[in-house]
Amino acid sequence: MTAPLAGKHRVAATAALRLEPARTQTSPGPADDTGSRVGDDRRMRARAVRRELWLAVHLPQLMLESLGEAGSLLLRGGRPEGRVLQQAASPLAIVDQQRGSRIVCACNDSATRAGIQAGMALNSALALLPELEVRARAERRERALLEALAGWGLGFTPRVSLERPDAVLLELRGSLQLFGGVAALLQRMRAELQAAGLAPLLALTPAPLASLWFAYAGVETRLRRSDSLAGRLAALPIACTRWPERSLELLGDMGVRTLGDCMRLPRDGLARRLGPQMLQMLDRATGRLPDPRPAFVAREHFRAVRQLEPEVGDVGRLEIAATTMLGELCDFLRRRGCVIQSLEFRLRHRAAPATRLPLHFAQPTARHEDIAVLLHERLLQLALSGPVRALQLQSGPLTPARSETGVLLREARHAASPGDALRLVERLRARLGVAAVQSLRPLAEHRPESAWCLMEPVIRPSGTSASQRQVRDEALQQPWALHGTRPLWLLGEPQLLPGKRPDFGGELVLEEGPERIESGWWDGRDVTRDYYVARNPAGVRLWVYRERGPGGRWFLQGVFG
Amino acid sequence: MSSFEDLLRHPGLWLAREQGTGTQPPGLPTGFAVLDRCLPGGGWPRRGLIEILTDHHGIGELSLLVPALASLCAEDAAEGWLAWVSPPYQPYAPALAACRIDVQRVLLIRAQPAEWAMEQALRSGACSIVLAWSSSGDSSVLRRLQLAAEQSCCLAVLFRRSSGAREPSPAVLRLALEANHGGLTVHILKSRGGRPVSLQMGRLPDPADAMSGNTR
Repeated sequence: MTAPLAGKHRVAATAALRLEPARTQTSPGPADDTGSRVGDDRRMRARAVRRELWLAVHLPQLMLESLGEAGSLLLRGGRPEGRVLQQAASPLAIVDQQRGSRIVCACNDSATRAGIQAGMALNSALALLPELEVRARAERRERALLEALAGWGLGFTPRVSLERPDAVLLELRGSLQLFGGVAALLQRMRAELQAAGLAPLLALTPAPLASLWFAYAGVETRLRRSDSLAGRLAALPIACTRWPERSLELLGDMGVRTLGDCMRLPRDGLARRLGPQMLQMLDRATGRLPDPRPAFVAREHFRAVRQLEPEVGDVGRLEIAATTMLGELCDFLRRRGCVIQSLEFRLRHRAAPATRLPLHFAQPTARHEDIAVLLHERLLQLALSGPVRALQLQSGPLTPARSETGVLLREARHAASPGDALRLVERLRARLGVAAVQSLRPLAEHRPESAWCLMEPVIRPSGTSASQRQVRDEALQQPWALHGTRPLWLLGEPQLLPGKRPDFGGELVLEEGPERIESGWWDGRDVTRDYYVARNPAGVRLWVYRERGPGGRWFLQGVFG
Repeated sequence: MSSFEDLLRHPGLWLAREQGTGTQPPGLPTGFAVLDRCLPGGGWPRRGLIEILTDHHGIGELSLLVPALASLCAEDAAEGWLAWVSPPYQPYAPALAACRIDVQRVLLIRAQPAEWAMEQALRSGACSIVLAWSSSGDSSVLRRLQLAAEQSCCLAVLFRRSSGAREPSPAVLRLALEANHGGLTVHILKSRGGRPVSLQMGRLPDPADAMSGNTR
């Protein structure tokens, strides 16, 4: 039993021994040498840089891939199409207007096999391959794909930066633990990108610019230590820096082929010939200078269009299509941790102008059920002006979501949450209209018809403290202490009671009164009335008044309830 | 396995999924001792539909509920709506305020038919009480309302014409109101766990007076 254990120990010991010299070899690397030369603060900065890990996601075939649905597939997950274009049997090239002539800027595999390359004039390409399919470059779609890529990146890290036109940088140091380490994370990212039909180049280093250069050079690397950056970068060709063509030519004339050659040049001479920016970029790539990056901010709106084929004429099928779009919207909101308070559906018709269907929520929401319920109510009322050809969904402005804490015990839940209360108002209003759902407010006024008004339903935050409550109770009580007997019901308009003696379902017996109310001479609705409490033969207590002055007509204004 | 089931049956344990299906909670006191004595929970049942049948608005049917409304407003925890669905007249805010009813919590809903809105209000879980004035008496609708009222824990009061008394109803409590000699007679037609009885309530005190007398 002891022998294998001892063996294991021996293995562990040799491993440690083997590690030791390796460590001593790497630590006094070139980066640390320069560090000691340039002083302490630079070393500190270099160490700060080392705490970051930047992944460059470069799409060398972005132009081709943007022709497919890769962007929306990336955000939603689904069936790849971009890949199909890339590997399509028929040769395909994307052409752009450059310097007055049409130049091939990207082509797929079968076109490459026929000898077509990026940078070739369209005429030469067509001479090589007459059946070549040619498409114009769509820069807007390329930008959209890159933004979709950045949006996808936000699912892995909050620090995302766009590198136009064809790369995205993600800072991954903080995400490694959550996603189970570098290898697992990169594997997952690659799988998701490939599922969307993209062919990415991934390079991970502590410096963003170095990651980009590796990716541009087509070298997929994983480098976690910044002290070996300079050594690894040295092998890359200078073209991967994407410096201006003139500078690259100049360097080429000087015999500089790789970044290593470039770094060996005297620094002051390099700065003089090429300008200080190139030197700065070299320092950033090797991690000697910090390299802050502008953060990518995701779109502030959600917008989606669905073409309906064939056209949809009935509301039921329209609702199905709209509900799936709501699913995308809610996904979009969930990824960003955001909520919306309004959105708008537009139903596009063939001939008639688009029908607009705005939805407003009493409370910001990202919940699919909440929105679907409201949509259902609105669609029930909708009269379609014609078959719908396309459905467009646009969200209102996004606001950050605040999470709500649930309650475990149902008993404690009989206090309605403010969210529920507003949802009810919203739901009723969606069906009945805004005016049909109101709250009440008493007003300080002697004329009964002016002593109250309707108001917008307001929900106070729950958990009002006892002292606050008392203050409110007193505020509630003081002004409305009644001067006389008041009914619980009021008629919308006072009802004229015909006859000399008041009559409402039989002759009235006056029980209390009169109480005189004389007010309102200043605003043109002057009243001078004597109020009585009366009872009719059915036993209903009524609040009636008699106008003072000649005639003395009787009116019914309230019912005691 | 069986011992685990036994363990679950221990009276000291409750299961989260069985919440709310337990016994009938005590009722909400009506504010009228005579009535409380005749109601099984000692007050308005908090679960299930309450039907009040009357042909006339204004014989005291609302005064009967005012103490309950006021006590709902006084409960610190509850912040739900006091929903009034399709009331026959305008609830008069100053009079309600004088009865210590928080008028800001009153939610007036004009809906035809009233039953749909009532069901929504009951199912939302956002109301402390739902009062509705119905014009129809469809029994399937009543069943839906009863079901919704049973599942929520807010008071559900439906006012109907007294002709409805002849038809069966799923409500847990049915009252028929009648005015006589200046007072109010309450006939308890049906009361789950109780028995039918007729009560002479006499003349109900003016709600506002009764409230100020009670509190300070």
